[in-house]
Amino acid sequence: MNAPAALPLRVDAAVLENRSEGGANYRLRLGIAGWPGAAPGHFVMLSPGTRGAALRFDPLLPRPMAVYRTLAGAASPEIEVLYKATGRGTNLLAEARVGDFVRVVGPLGVPFALPQAGRPALLVGGGTGIASLYELAARASVLGPVVVMLGARNAADLMGCDDFAALGVELRIATEDGSRGHRGRVTELLEVALAADRGDEAIYACGPTPMMRRAAEIAAARGRCCQVSLENHMACGFGVCLGCAVPRADGKIALVCRDGPVFDADQVAWAGVP
Amino acid sequence: MGGRTVSAAHVEMSVNLGGIALRNPVLTASGTFGYGAEFAPFFDLTRIGGIVAKSITLEPRQGNQPPRIAETAAGMLNAIGLENVGVDAFIAEKIPALAEGVVVVASVFETEIDRYAEVCKRLAGVPRVAGIEINASCPHVKSGGIEFGQRAEVLAQLVRTTRRATPAPLLVKLSPNVTDIREMARVCEAEGADGLSMINTLQALDVDIATRRPVLRNGLGGLSGPAIRPVALRMVWQASQAVRIPVCGIGGIMNAEDAIKFLICGATAVQVGTANYLNPLAALEVAEGIEAYVRENGLARVSDLVGTLEVPTR
Repeated sequence: MNAPAALPLRVDAAVLENRSEGGANYRLRLGIAGWPGAAPGHFVMLSPGTRGAALRFDPLLPRPMAVYRTLAGAASPEIEVLYKATGRGTNLLAEARVGDFVRVVGPLGVPFALPQAGRPALLVGGGTGIASLYELAARASVLGPVVVMLGARNAADLMGCDDFAALGVELRIATEDGSRGHRGRVTELLEVALAADRGDEAIYACGPTPMMRRAAEIAAARGRCCQVSLENHMACGFGVCLGCAVPRADGKIALVCRDGPVFDADQVAWAGVP
Repeated sequence: MGGRTVSAAHVEMSVNLGGIALRNPVLTASGTFGYGAEFAPFFDLTRIGGIVAKSITLEPRQGNQPPRIAETAAGMLNAIGLENVGVDAFIAEKIPALAEGVVVVASVFETEIDRYAEVCKRLAGVPRVAGIEINASCPHVKSGGIEFGQRAEVLAQLVRTTRRATPAPLLVKLSPNVTDIREMARVCEAEGADGLSMINTLQALDVDIATRRPVLRNGLGGLSGPAIRPVALRMVWQASQAVRIPVCGIGGIMNAEDAIKFLICGATAVQVGTANYLNPLAALEVAEGIEAYVRENGLARVSDLVGTLEVPTR
C-alpha cells in the first residue's frame, strides 16, 4: 500500500538556516546534494554538532526528526526540520550555525498513505508533531479538501501556521490557554469535525502519544481508523538497533523506524507506547 | 617523488582470523549490523572484511518489551532480549539476501549448552557461513541466569560442546563482566576455540529519578560505545598476551584511529559495533582509514601493526 522509502543517504548537510521561531522552537534548513526527496511522513536521523569528519560522540546518538518539507533550493535540494530544543541533543542542534554541517541519514521509514482522490482529509497535529503533516497536507490538498487542526500549549508555541495557511487548506487552531483559536485540546477540534461526519474522511494524527491515542479513540468511536506517526528513541533509524520497539495490538512487536513511523492506530497497543 | 612511491605501493590488508580469511581486518559486530542487507543501500559489503550477523537462536524470538535502549554519557545501554529470526530462517532467507563475496560469520546464542550445539550443527555445511561466533554473554538458565562467560567451568563446557558440534572456524565472544579476562581467554584456547572476539557489552544500569525505576524495561542493560573503549583495549591487550589464538577487538570503535589502537594492543582484526547505528558507513571508513595509516607508516602489511604496543619498563 505504502511506497517504500527511496534509498537512504548518509551525508553531511550544510546548515543554511537554524533559527528560533519563538521560545524553544527551531526551524533548521539543510542543503543536501543528491537528496532523493521524501514522501509525507518520512524522517531523517540527525547528528547534531557534526562538522565534517569531526564527529561528536557525546551525546552519541542521532535524533530522529520528521522531514517538514523539501524545497528546490538554489544550489541543491533543501529540507526543513522543525524541532524543539528540550534536551542534550536538540540543544546542541540549536547551536549549529550557518555553514556548519549536520550529519543526515535518510529519508527513512514508511510514509503516510495518501487519501483517495476526492476524499477529504482531516489532519491533527500537536507540538512538533505538526512537522510530519506539512507534506501530507500539501499532497492531500491536490486530491481533495483538507482540514488541518494544529494544537499547542499557547500561541507562542505554535509552529508552521503560516506555511499551512499558504497551502490554501482550512486551518483550525487550538491552544490549551486559549491564547489563539479554540481554548482546549486539538483533539476536541477533531471531535467537532467528525460530528459533521461525512463518513469518508481520511484521518491523520501526529503529536504527543496521549494526543494521538485520543485521536485514535475519537476515530474509533465512529468506527473509523486513523493513521498516526509514532515517535520513539532509536539509535539507527533503519531497523538494526531494534531499540524503537512498540507493542502491537496483536501482541507482536513493531519497530517504529522500519514498520513505521506511520501506523494504523488500531494496530498499536497504546498502553505500551512510550 | 618518494612519498608518491610509498602511497602507490601495494599494502597487504588481508588477515586470517582463526581460519577465517578476511580481505581486511574490519568486521561488524553482532547485533549492530542486522543481517547485513540493511546496510546494502549504504555501501558494498564486500569492501569490508566481513559481517558478524545478529545472534541467532534455535527458534525465532521476539525480545523484550520497550524501553530497550537508552543513551548514556558517550555510550548507550541496550536490553533487546533475544529478538531474532531463528537459525532456519537465517539460513533460508537472510544469508541468500547477501551479495556473493560478503564474508558472513554466524553468531550463536542460547540459554542451554545443548541448544548452542544444535544451532551450530544446523549451520554446518552452509557454504556462505565462514565461521561461527559463540556469544557467551547470554544468561545461563541452569546457572541461575549468570552469563556463560562469567564462570570458567561453564565457559569451558560451552566451548568444548560447540567445538565438537562444528568443524567451522570457532570464535568465542567473551563477556567483560569477569574478574580476570585472561583466565577466560585461556579456557577458550584450551577447549579448542580458533579465536576470541572481545569485548561484549558491560553490564550496566541507569535510573530515571522521576519514577525511581531503571530506564530500561529489563532493568539491567549492556553498555556500549566510546565509553567502554579503554576497558576493551585493556582486556584485548591482556588476553592477547595470555593466548596464542587470534583476538578480534571490539568496544567503542568509532573510527580508524580507534581500530588501530586495538591492532597495536594485539588484535588481529576488529569489529565495529555501535558506530554503525550513528554512521552506517562507519565500518567502511574504518577499513579505509586503517589502510591509509598502514600506507602512511610505510608498512608492508596491516598485520605488522598487530601487538606492537611498547610498554616502557621502569
